[in-house]
Amino acid sequence: MQKYFVGVDIGSLTVKVVLINDDLEILGTAMTRAGFSGRDVAARLKDQLISDSGLTAQVIGATVATGYGRVTFPSDREVSEITCQAKGISHLFPTARTVIDIGGQDSKVIKLLSNGRVADFAMNDKCAAGTGRFLEVMAAALEVEWQEISELASTSENPAKISSFCTVFAESEIISHVSTGALKSDILAGVCDSVASRVASMTRRTGLEPDIVFTGGVAHNQGVVNALSKQLGYPLLVSREPVITAALGAALLASELRKA
Amino acid sequence: MAKRNYRPLASVKALQKTMGRYYALTNYHRYWGKPFRRPLAWVTSGAPVELLRSFKIHSAYPEQYAAIYSARNTTVALCEIADSAGYSQDLCSYARSNIGGVLRPDLAPLGGMPKPDLLVACNNICGTVLKWYEALARHFNIPLLVLDTPYLTDEMTQQAKDYVLEQLYAMAVDLEKITGRPFNEKNLAKQMRQSAEITSLWKETRQYCQANPSPLNAPDLFIHMAPIVVLRGSQEGIDYYRKLKAEVKERVALGQGAVENERIRLVWDNIAIWPQLFTFYKMFADKGACFVSDTYSGGWASLQSPGTPMESLATTYTEVFLNRSPEFRANQLINLIRDYKADGFVMHSNRSCKPYSLVQEVIRKKVMRETGVPGLMIEADMADLRAYAEEPVRNRVQAFLETFD
Repeated sequence: MQKYFVGVDIGSLTVKVVLINDDLEILGTAMTRAGFSGRDVAARLKDQLISDSGLTAQVIGATVATGYGRVTFPSDREVSEITCQAKGISHLFPTARTVIDIGGQDSKVIKLLSNGRVADFAMNDKCAAGTGRFLEVMAAALEVEWQEISELASTSENPAKISSFCTVFAESEIISHVSTGALKSDILAGVCDSVASRVASMTRRTGLEPDIVFTGGVAHNQGVVNALSKQLGYPLLVSREPVITAALGAALLASELRKA
Repeated sequence: MAKRNYRPLASVKALQKTMGRYYALTNYHRYWGKPFRRPLAWVTSGAPVELLRSFKIHSAYPEQYAAIYSARNTTVALCEIADSAGYSQDLCSYARSNIGGVLRPDLAPLGGMPKPDLLVACNNICGTVLKWYEALARHFNIPLLVLDTPYLTDEMTQQAKDYVLEQLYAMAVDLEKITGRPFNEKNLAKQMRQSAEITSLWKETRQYCQANPSPLNAPDLFIHMAPIVVLRGSQEGIDYYRKLKAEVKERVALGQGAVENERIRLVWDNIAIWPQLFTFYKMFADKGACFVSDTYSGGWASLQSPGTPMESLATTYTEVFLNRSPEFRANQLINLIRDYKADGFVMHSNRSCKPYSLVQEVIRKKVMRETGVPGLMIEADMADLRAYAEEPVRNRVQAFLETFD
């Protein structure tokens, strides 16, 4: 009988669920805001994804949880996002050697061995600079939807300089740019540059080895993709659904649990 | 109840007795110091304490008290006192909590430190101690003796040795004035002999951890290093380490490991995370990961250099590892990884300890390249819990340990 596997990624901002089959094909994905209780949201999302796919809980072979909410979520195993992200990305991009993941409150760089295993990694610490949350705060200060950031930033000819890494101070810097009449597009381009430079230095620290895959929610933002690619001097590979790659990795690990 | 996969040492009893006696003596110094003409010195952990002992000076260690403040969760409150007095949050948390304890002894464990008669600072461990001890000297209005050990970019030089030696002789003259006792080289030689014995015992005890499974884990090393710091050169210290060594030797003979089902052997770099001593290292022990050696408590296992007692003091205290080049420190880690057959290493990027932490990334890369084992960097602080972000730390540790699966 065909078995199915679920990966659940309970992040700081969003919850992602991926369902795969024995042949490691993605049957469905779901995503929503984590809200107050990421665990409850994730449980609902998982049940819904299973029933929407015409399946029942009985045919689920195993579930692996990852992300900040992983510890309390009922699963067969909890695995760190770093291991899951490495698994998901090396499945989608077998030639990947460097993974840059920018999520809601984390940015991380993972160095992969040729077999897809983790060789080394670096993460931001106790600071939201260079993360999705940083972009959200800046977009809110400029009264721009985050989906609009990349389009507006791409029209900038003279990006503003955002020198502070601190989210709170950068926000006041933006307000002072606004008051001096700077263009929204220039400020947003400056914000993208700021995120990119923070993450670029972390990437150089772990050692830059192509192919480089950019993943996590911020990889949706073409403005940051362009800025980061320019700063690193390499093209960046981005999956069609960068938000779910860690959840995919969790699902793949769930399928291995059963075989083990 | 949470599963306990940690084997306690019987020597802990002897440790508590030895250290309890030391604290009692130290904290009641005001009653016996004057009548016995034995002044109390506050000294840095890298101060040439054998010279002080030869003058019958009793030493107390602000760094060691600061570790106790931290283990008893009072560091933050004491740091806030120092913060309010104008000391920057970027300063060392040992310095800040010590100063906080000086300003508000009522908030400090053990009632704070007993009032010193003199201060002795040696900058072989860091530059912060100079300004920290200057602040103390102004506060207490007492003499401050400084030993300046030049940073060694390579091996020890004759010039550096002469420079330190000259200062030691000058310090002896100052100590003669302060104590009213003449410098006695025979006394110093005796202190050096006892110090050498205690160091050898500590070194041999540590070497038993090359066994598989390792008889000791990092928290054991950190707890049982207390006497070598404060009782170096004393008979009580020697007696204590003889006991500990015998117990550790027996564990090896019985094949008993500190961590149940030791699966991963690691080396630790930097000062312990005192306020999380058990919770932090438990994350490793729970996965069968044991810290079989470390550079921090190993700093007290370096054997004395040859020469006359004064020459030996000059070289030994200048050659401490924190006063050496990144190459020296990388090689030290590489040798530990090879000698102890370690599978990886963990570096604590310690917000407080700049000389220990600033060059770690360079060292980490070199060690990984030369040994082929993975190295993890954890950002935290030796004493100030506010610099410890539990969830990100757990995340990194888990991801690191998963690479061994």
